[in-house]
Amino acid sequence: MTRLRSHGWIIVLVAVMALGLAAPAAAAEKTLEIGVLGPLSGGAASYGVELVRAAEIRTDEINKAGGLKVGGDVYKIKLVTYDHKASAADAATAANKLIFQDKVKYIIGNAVGATCNAVQTVSEPQKVLFAFVCWGTNNLGPDKPYSFRSMLSQWEVAEPFYRWVKDKHPAIKKIAIISPNDTSGLDTNTAVVKAVKSLGLELVAEETYERGTKDFYPILNKILAKKPDLLDVAASPPGEAGLILKQAHELGFKGAKGWTAGTNPASLVSISGPEAAEHLWSPLNINVKSDFVDAKVRKFGDEYEKRYKEVPGAIAVANYAAFDVITKAMQEAGSVDTDKVLAALTSRPYDTVWGRLAIGAKETYGIDRQFLYPMVISEIRSGKSVDIEQVLPAALKVMKK
Amino acid sequence: MLNGFTLALVYALVALGLTLIFSIFEIINFAHGEFYMLGGYVTYLGFAVAGLPYLLTLLLAIVVVGLVGLVSERLIFRHLRGKTLNAFIVSLGLLWVLQAGAQLSFGVLDKSVPSAFAGIIRLGGLIISVERFVVVLAAVGLIAVLYAFLQWTRLGRAMRAVAQDPDGAALQGVNIEVVSMVAFAIGCALAGSAGGLLAPLFAVSPAMGALPVVKAFIMIIIGGMGSLPGAVVGGLLLGTVEGLGSLFFSSAAVNVLGFLMVIAVLLVRPRGLFGAA
Repeated sequence: MTRLRSHGWIIVLVAVMALGLAAPAAAAEKTLEIGVLGPLSGGAASYGVELVRAAEIRTDEINKAGGLKVGGDVYKIKLVTYDHKASAADAATAANKLIFQDKVKYIIGNAVGATCNAVQTVSEPQKVLFAFVCWGTNNLGPDKPYSFRSMLSQWEVAEPFYRWVKDKHPAIKKIAIISPNDTSGLDTNTAVVKAVKSLGLELVAEETYERGTKDFYPILNKILAKKPDLLDVAASPPGEAGLILKQAHELGFKGAKGWTAGTNPASLVSISGPEAAEHLWSPLNINVKSDFVDAKVRKFGDEYEKRYKEVPGAIAVANYAAFDVITKAMQEAGSVDTDKVLAALTSRPYDTVWGRLAIGAKETYGIDRQFLYPMVISEIRSGKSVDIEQVLPAALKVMKK
Repeated sequence: MLNGFTLALVYALVALGLTLIFSIFEIINFAHGEFYMLGGYVTYLGFAVAGLPYLLTLLLAIVVVGLVGLVSERLIFRHLRGKTLNAFIVSLGLLWVLQAGAQLSFGVLDKSVPSAFAGIIRLGGLIISVERFVVVLAAVGLIAVLYAFLQWTRLGRAMRAVAQDPDGAALQGVNIEVVSMVAFAIGCALAGSAGGLLAPLFAVSPAMGALPVVKAFIMIIIGGMGSLPGAVVGGLLLGTVEGLGSLFFSSAAVNVLGFLMVIAVLLVRPRGLFGAA
């Protein structure tokens, strides 16, 4: 009995040692926490929801494949998400939590320009790599070397879009634009005004509204009195753009419709109804089922639709691509140190769901931090988004030369 | 301008509910906008999802939200009559619970409710959609029904008596418990009707109650806390000022006009236009 008991102790000892030896091997697998910010409630919620969903899909793909191999380490990716409700104050709070409490070194995903500025006040001094889809001009610059825009902005698309309008629809002369009264909106209006005027078109109205507005009759009455040929809902998010078009339709507007910085026509149509959105043109949207897009986008679109029962818009595709590119850059750098990843990221083009993606546009922002890829002009037909033509942004043309 | 009246009339329904509850309970229900939101979602489910006729759905919104109000009164608010601070905290809590409940049930994205009535009416230079015209008629109708109820029914008169002097009313045999319960349910049903009326005009979302309740507060401060005619007149004044203001100012500036009116009223006539001294 005594012998058996001593044998028992030996077995326990061996088991403990085996576990002890195994423990360092398990510790080699690390966790990389990546922050995702966005408006997850309110009128711009669809932006944040798309950002988070795309991040979830790419994270699951990486984790299911055994993790992200960087140098000698394998990282399981864990997402940390916060809702900033499109408010700059809430965004600053969320960025502080992410960086100082959750200790993240990467924030991949954010929308709404003013919130990006708020995040950057914390992320840049802390050398946190920050990729976003915000459309403010001042979100990129030599003073913000750790910031990237992962989606084409109004500054890349406004001129080629209005050039296309002028070439294909010469009867359109008078343009009216309406955007939210914040960084994204004002910047988009500025880019559109510049493009419209440079092409010799007439700007008859330039209006803004407060985010969260539901009743657009007063503003629309002012705009429609100027009899525009084209109403551009510019930087309005899908919920508000849908309401503007619905109410313009109620007021009898029959002209052409544009959405220079619009990204999710399915969400817009669900609010406006198909009739009010008929023939709406958008240069930023992506139709994940179209022949214009890479097979990888269709695969991503299928997975997104399977999981969330909705069709993804351009913001989802952009954040999926951003996750893809930045994690590839980590592997290339052999490190998760943001300075090393930054160097790898800007060293060469990457193959992504957008196709071949370059990071450039120094001529616009003074630094190469803008993701560049071909843009597709789409049109709403019977409530569905149909791609019409592929156009290259001017900055990408510059790079190709 | 006309559009300002349309919305003011609907927000006046929210304000009437809020002021009715205030006059009986002497509390401010900060979750009142969430009853408006519930009315919107009942309309979304009935009209957009189940395909019921719009007017039937509107009736359903009034009844369902009224019942939710009744349950809230029984479970929560009857214990808070006259306890202003407690009611403030509890109603803020209820606000978050109802909003989070809507988020969990319907998601954070706006839900569209199709137009119930198509077409526009042109009267000279005036353009108004048939839908907004119906909303105006319905809002006026509901305000008239409320007025008739309070003026000429036994229960309505009992409510006015409780609002003026609860002890005196109780001595005259008025059952305060029943009157309070019905008043709270009616107050919530009015907010629900406003949600049901505006759902096809705007989309519905969990946070949709914030704006109407702010407008309602402005209206009842201008009109006088606890005064039903004051809520309607306050609403029409706000609608006129905002309607006219939108012709000359940006939307941001127009939003400020209502608060300027509130400051002016509180400085010059703190009890409001129709409030008791």
